[in-house]
Amino acid sequence: MPQFEQVSVFGSLIFWSLISFGLLFFILKKFAFPPILEALELREKKIRDDRDDSERLKEEAKKIKEELEATLKSAHGKAETIVQLAQDEAKKFQAKQLQETEAKVRQIQKEAEADIQGSRDKLLQEMRSYTAALTIASTEKFLKKALDDADKKRLVDESIEQVIQELEKSQRN
Amino acid sequence: MESPLHHFEVHTIIPIHIGGLDLSINNAIVAMWVGLAIVAGAFMLVVSRGVNPVPGKLQSVLEVALEFIRSMVYEFIGEEEGKKYVPFIATLFLFILACNLIGLVPGSYTITSQVAVTGAIAVGIFIMTLVIGFGKHGMHFFGILVPPGIPKIMIPLMIPIEIISMLARPISLAVRLFANMTAGHTVLAVLFGLAMTGPLWLGWLPFSFTIVINGLEIAIAFIQAYIFTTLTCVYIGDVIKLH
Repeated sequence: MPQFEQVSVFGSLIFWSLISFGLLFFILKKFAFPPILEALELREKKIRDDRDDSERLKEEAKKIKEELEATLKSAHGKAETIVQLAQDEAKKFQAKQLQETEAKVRQIQKEAEADIQGSRDKLLQEMRSYTAALTIASTEKFLKKALDDADKKRLVDESIEQVIQELEKSQRN
Repeated sequence: MESPLHHFEVHTIIPIHIGGLDLSINNAIVAMWVGLAIVAGAFMLVVSRGVNPVPGKLQSVLEVALEFIRSMVYEFIGEEEGKKYVPFIATLFLFILACNLIGLVPGSYTITSQVAVTGAIAVGIFIMTLVIGFGKHGMHFFGILVPPGIPKIMIPLMIPIEIISMLARPISLAVRLFANMTAGHTVLAVLFGLAMTGPLWLGWLPFSFTIVINGLEIAIAFIQAYIFTTLTCVYIGDVIKLH
């Protein structure tokens, strides 16, 4: 094999390969590797930092979401209480209004009844007077004779009573 | 038919003799320089353009290579200690890879198929591991010859075995690379010789095999560079950690 036979070239092969290796090592170590390795490390650091940041932001977002959910839940509770209170208030107000209205209606009814009663009494009184006068006049005309005061009064009263009874009877019907 | 080992012959191009020492420039050295110039040129091109945070194609390739080597160094030596060895291991990987690949160009030469070269590099690495070991641990470095947990009675037996194992490291390192490169190129030469000498109706068969084997040789060029540097990392890691 030429690799074992050409012993004379071993010196130059070893010398130049070691020198070349040393030179390549020097060039790459001095000029090429540092910027590339630095760029690699910077990129790794950036990726690591970005990943950490995203983890942190994710945690924060989760926390904020939980807080918001809690706030929302509490707001829901408060709203329900407020609605309940408002409904209670409305019911109370409605009941009070109903009561007042009923009282007012009762009052108006009572007043109306009193008015009706007064009017009725007044009407009856007037009717009594008119009827008396009418009865006297008509009776005088029928009898064509003068009656004494006692007879007048008795006859009048009887007529009135009769009239009243008839009135009341007609009212009832 | 030409000998399949013919292309392993070294031819002097520029004769240089200094003090009886033959330092002539030959075809193997020129091929190696071409390979190394391509590697250095690629790196210098990227650096001269300015290392971009968003890498281009060439920068990406070089970054992937460096990242791959760095993770390998960190795995076997440790991140703290390994940092200072990254440039050396990376240069070693690129040197062997460039020499292996440039040899696949027809008419070129694979300097890693010279056992003298692989031996010199392996011995250099072996000496370096000894220097690192003694520098870090002093006389305690001899503890590497005594594997942990063995009974005391076994120590006289284990020390010679460990010494042999240590000395076998550079030999295996050198022979593995040399043998793989030589074997691959020999197979290629034999197949190509067959293709050229045989009739056309038969010659296409070994020729198509050379294409397949060439692809395989590219993979072997990478694998051997990887194995050489991985073992170097393992040896350095061993002397730093002492088992």
